[in-house]
Amino acid sequence: MSDLLRTPAELKYAEELDWLESVDDGPKPFAWRLSPKMVRRFVLGAERADGLAREISQKWFGDRSFIERAIVTLASDRGLLLIGDPGTGKSWLAELLAAAISRNSTLVVQGTAGTTEDQIKYSWNVAMVIAKGQSRESMIPSPIMTAMEQGSIGRFEELTRSTSDVQDALISILSEKYISVPELNSDNIVFAKPGFSVIATANSRDRGVNDLSSALKRRFNFVRIPVVTNKKSEAAIVRFRTEELLRRHQIELDVQPTLLDVLLRSFADLRASAASAGSDDEKLESALSTAEQIGVLEDAILHSNFFGDRALSARTLASSFVGSLARREPEDLAILNKYLHGVVEPRSKDEGGDWPGFLEGGRDAIATLS
Amino acid sequence: MSEFDALRTQLRDAAAVFADGPGALEGILLGIVDDVDRALREPLEIFPVCHHSPASAVAMARRLREKQPKVVYLELCEDMAPLLTELRNCRLPVAVQAFATEADGFPAEWAPLSVVAPITEASAEYQAIAYALDTPGVEIVLVDRSSDHVFQWEHRDTLDEVPDPDAPPAEEEAALHGDAIGVEIGDLRPRFAELEEHLLRHGKVRHWSEWWHQFVELPLADRGHDTYRQIMFLIGSLFRRLAPGDPRHVGVDENRERYMWTRMREHLAATGTDPVDCLYVCGAFHAASRVAEFGVDGADGFAISPRSATRWQRGLVPSSHAAIEAQFGLAAGSVSIAATEWAKNVRRTRVQPFRLAGQVGETKRKKAVTLPEPAPEITLSDHLTGFLQQPTALDPLDEAELLGWSVEVVRAARRNRYLASTADAIAVFETAILLAGMRDRVKPTPYDFQDAAVTCIEKDTVPGRRDVRRIVEIMMGGDRIGQVGYDALPPLARDVHDRLMPLNLTLQQRGVQRALLDIASQPELEGCSDLLWMLRYLMPHGATRPIMGERRLGERPIQESWDLALGTHQRVLIELGYEGVSIEQVLEQRLRRAAYGPRATATTVLATVEDAILYLHSHRLASELGTRALDVLATERSADGAPEVLRRLRRLLAYYRTSEPVLPTWIESFVKTGYAHYCTMLPMAFTDEDARVDQVAAMLGFLFGMEGLALSLGCDRTQMELALAQSHPKEPAKVALMWAAQVQLGHLSRAELRTRCDELLANPLVVSAYPRYLSGFVHALEPAPGLADFVVEAVSNAFARLPDPVLLPWLPTLITTLRAGGAELAPLLIREAGRIFPGRLAALDEWVPPWLAEEQATVAPRVTGGRGVPLLAAHPGTCDAVARLLGCTGTWEAAEPGPHGAAVVGEYPDTAVAPAALLAHEDPAPVR
Repeated sequence: MSDLLRTPAELKYAEELDWLESVDDGPKPFAWRLSPKMVRRFVLGAERADGLAREISQKWFGDRSFIERAIVTLASDRGLLLIGDPGTGKSWLAELLAAAISRNSTLVVQGTAGTTEDQIKYSWNVAMVIAKGQSRESMIPSPIMTAMEQGSIGRFEELTRSTSDVQDALISILSEKYISVPELNSDNIVFAKPGFSVIATANSRDRGVNDLSSALKRRFNFVRIPVVTNKKSEAAIVRFRTEELLRRHQIELDVQPTLLDVLLRSFADLRASAASAGSDDEKLESALSTAEQIGVLEDAILHSNFFGDRALSARTLASSFVGSLARREPEDLAILNKYLHGVVEPRSKDEGGDWPGFLEGGRDAIATLS
Repeated sequence: MSEFDALRTQLRDAAAVFADGPGALEGILLGIVDDVDRALREPLEIFPVCHHSPASAVAMARRLREKQPKVVYLELCEDMAPLLTELRNCRLPVAVQAFATEADGFPAEWAPLSVVAPITEASAEYQAIAYALDTPGVEIVLVDRSSDHVFQWEHRDTLDEVPDPDAPPAEEEAALHGDAIGVEIGDLRPRFAELEEHLLRHGKVRHWSEWWHQFVELPLADRGHDTYRQIMFLIGSLFRRLAPGDPRHVGVDENRERYMWTRMREHLAATGTDPVDCLYVCGAFHAASRVAEFGVDGADGFAISPRSATRWQRGLVPSSHAAIEAQFGLAAGSVSIAATEWAKNVRRTRVQPFRLAGQVGETKRKKAVTLPEPAPEITLSDHLTGFLQQPTALDPLDEAELLGWSVEVVRAARRNRYLASTADAIAVFETAILLAGMRDRVKPTPYDFQDAAVTCIEKDTVPGRRDVRRIVEIMMGGDRIGQVGYDALPPLARDVHDRLMPLNLTLQQRGVQRALLDIASQPELEGCSDLLWMLRYLMPHGATRPIMGERRLGERPIQESWDLALGTHQRVLIELGYEGVSIEQVLEQRLRRAAYGPRATATTVLATVEDAILYLHSHRLASELGTRALDVLATERSADGAPEVLRRLRRLLAYYRTSEPVLPTWIESFVKTGYAHYCTMLPMAFTDEDARVDQVAAMLGFLFGMEGLALSLGCDRTQMELALAQSHPKEPAKVALMWAAQVQLGHLSRAELRTRCDELLANPLVVSAYPRYLSGFVHALEPAPGLADFVVEAVSNAFARLPDPVLLPWLPTLITTLRAGGAELAPLLIREAGRIFPGRLAALDEWVPPWLAEEQATVAPRVTGGRGVPLLAAHPGTCDAVARLLGCTGTWEAAEPGPHGAAVVGEYPDTAVAPAALLAHEDPAPVR
């Protein structure tokens, strides 16, 4: 058991990565630790039939061509911009790619409204500057600059949350591949080593807040990650992530497949209703992404583990479901209430199973909230 | 001893290794070899194909030149045979179609039945057809089940497949086949999802078309005939043995195989042809068949069920690559890529393809190609082992081609408003090679290239109409839309084109063309105009669209302009051709069908009457349909259609009155029956909650409006009076309508009506219902247009006297009512209001409403005598002339007080005496 709350991918899968590196005989671009094909296998998993001596677990679920396009982009001259709705696994994919390619996924800049150019390039240790003057020693490199120096992958999360002038600092980094430090008289250029590239993520719901300039756009290849609507892969994602979370909390608890089905179907129903809603008031504020499903399930599991009888019940799931999705009062509560009475109630009569418990728990939760 | 023994041993060993001992795997693997062996030993040469496979087409062209068979059996619905020769009049792709408007022997809801089999130039079947039709002494025989059997064997649930809700809406080109069932030659695809998924995953491809292209198409392209045949047999058998799929599906497939072999044996027996001289072209799937009937020596005894009584029509309809892809679930762009690949293969392999003589789209007519002597038969040998052991032959990277694509895609993207530059072309080039490398290919396939272009050029938004994916699809060949040539069109379509000749337009071409018809100066164009109006009635919106000009009863066209897109909607025109030989016939059938349909109402039947006159100028049909309308009206029991019936009947009456010497009998009967019908319905309609006020008003409108005609035809007015007397409406709007009707009949005076309204306004308990009374009054304008001034008065009173809490909420209702329900009445009301109210603001201050003025007028003393007389005295000529005419001999006198103008009455007393006697007046003496 690691003593980290959340281990980064390169540590978590260190053993797998080591093994892959040892058997990898494919051509590796620049200073990549794995060849592109092995990176793909690491992310998408591999069976015995794929020609490896052991199985590699699948870590990201989605169309294979997305991964291939992403890897190829990183091997080319351009940066990679993963764009998609919140909760579609963009950051997770970025982390996996960085871990597989350069064994370091922690060189991350988080884009916010308060991100400054310093955080992308470099800043100064003021005390050191006063003591010794401006030198490479007293310079604090940003994660991106560190990535340049190491020839590894730098990550920029939520690129579109930071302001346009800050974003544009990336233009020169991506095209010239160096950062000049005009404050220094000598050794004043930091060049990127081969293997350096940037994976940025952007939320498509934030479009229009801080639009990328066209100069920056053309230095990035865009890979759009869609919301998973395929029930089978969604179930696989939810199961995979939940197991991981349970392992992290050291909880031994079984999630019944029927309960998972209840969760998936209820999300699918709500997505369908959101798609046909006429106005914002008629749909939930939540994006109903896979990540949110995982959140609902995790919440329910933790609750039953610490406050319940250590078994996940439909009631607990329902209260977590309502608790997570009801963000606005009364709109969201009204929608959930309508959903419970219009869809879940007839279904619990027709199908039985976990649905009656889900209905009851949902009603109680709504009653408590309203 | 078979040629495949070595392979068998090898496979048996392999099965033992992989499956830990002999078992199912061994059975499958050896079974596959058996299938291949069996198909190869068949004396009637089987030529396995896959649909839209350029490799199949090249192999076919090559084989036909070598073997030169005398009979070609083809897996295609046998009833479509007569159409094949028409292919030469078309530009491919087109589809041969069997169509039945009515289903006889099938559930009625299946109708219309339609089966299409699209044919592209890059297909093996086209090669076979072109060879057989253009080579003397060669016969082509279609052996697959007939279109009728397609439906006999089809399961209803497969016909009713729910479309994928996530699927993007079909584009116009993709909908070219309508909702026909598609049949095609050489359907070859794994029958269960897991196998396909497995193949796609390990082939590192996205969809089936790409897999086929990569793993079968490319390796097979340059192989000899024997290898080709054995590999195709192998694939067919593999899919068949590994994945039998849905048992019903398999059942249909096996029945088709029995059908085909039975037909072939019948043909061989009938003509005495040697099986060696024949070639059987079928899908690889059917080549691996294990039914007992398989082979020239197969079992007899498959009874072919008789066809149903459905009357099938057959013809050619245009098709397109997109339509084929949509119909058969192929990846977008795959048929186009196949076409491009075919052209490339033909160039590279120097195979001379067959082409139907006179094929539309041919660049130049080459002189008839004489076929070389047939090549000697090759002995059977194992080509499988070698092929399977070889590593996949990789197509070397054609850098120039890839570079060309990269540059071209950037140019195309720029045209579609992408901010793409040379840097993007470089990136696309590089990415495509990297992607191909990742997918274990030396050369990027078109699909890899598409992915690369999307990665490098597509950003967060699509700036124009097309995204990069679509741009690449267009670049890789794009969609091609076929066209059926004039000679291959059904008589109706040919007739339409002939009759539209005077327009001097190339209507066969796709796209919209503008036609200008100046009928006033070129009366011969009137026929075209008639035809265009009929086409507009029969064809979907957009095929013929009038820009200027309209057709209404009793009007003649003078000038018209039309947007015509007959080429684009060729399929619909061809399908009309299945319904009849002339457009008039089809229209008449449609009108009759509408009028006699189970859902026909008096309104819809009257509409067909109107259409019959408008489009067909047929009084015979109009009168027949009119009689039908009469029957339908008599059975109707609701007021729903009354407004429309009234409107249409008025139009028809106006038309007949102006254009015919006498009214047709049917319309007289209709008025008579309608009068009695609505009189009967009226009391119920007044009380029925479901009957809207406008419907009741329309009934009254019919009764009052047609009264003169109805009474002259022997109706009795008492009937209406009684009907009104029986009516006791409760709803305010209908009460108001009732009052208006009473005023119209003279049972209620205007003064009384006014008093009633005043009472309503004065009574605080009912004042809130006043607007609803008003609504009734507005609708009353329909039966009693003379009340317009009163309605204006009532509305004005509402504005003047209604309290704000009642008035203000009602205003929007008034506007919406006037706009929706009273669209025709509002102008009448506004005109009347314009007459009553002052036109200028200044005049408003002194203005007194006439209804108030009338009251004042009655109080004011009448000015007696003298008015106007001085003028008459000054100009006596007019009066003298009138007086002479009337025989009055009086002279001009000075004005005196007393009664005037009685001189004539004194002169001729008879007129006054007669009524006085009638009225039994006491003093008949004339007044002097």
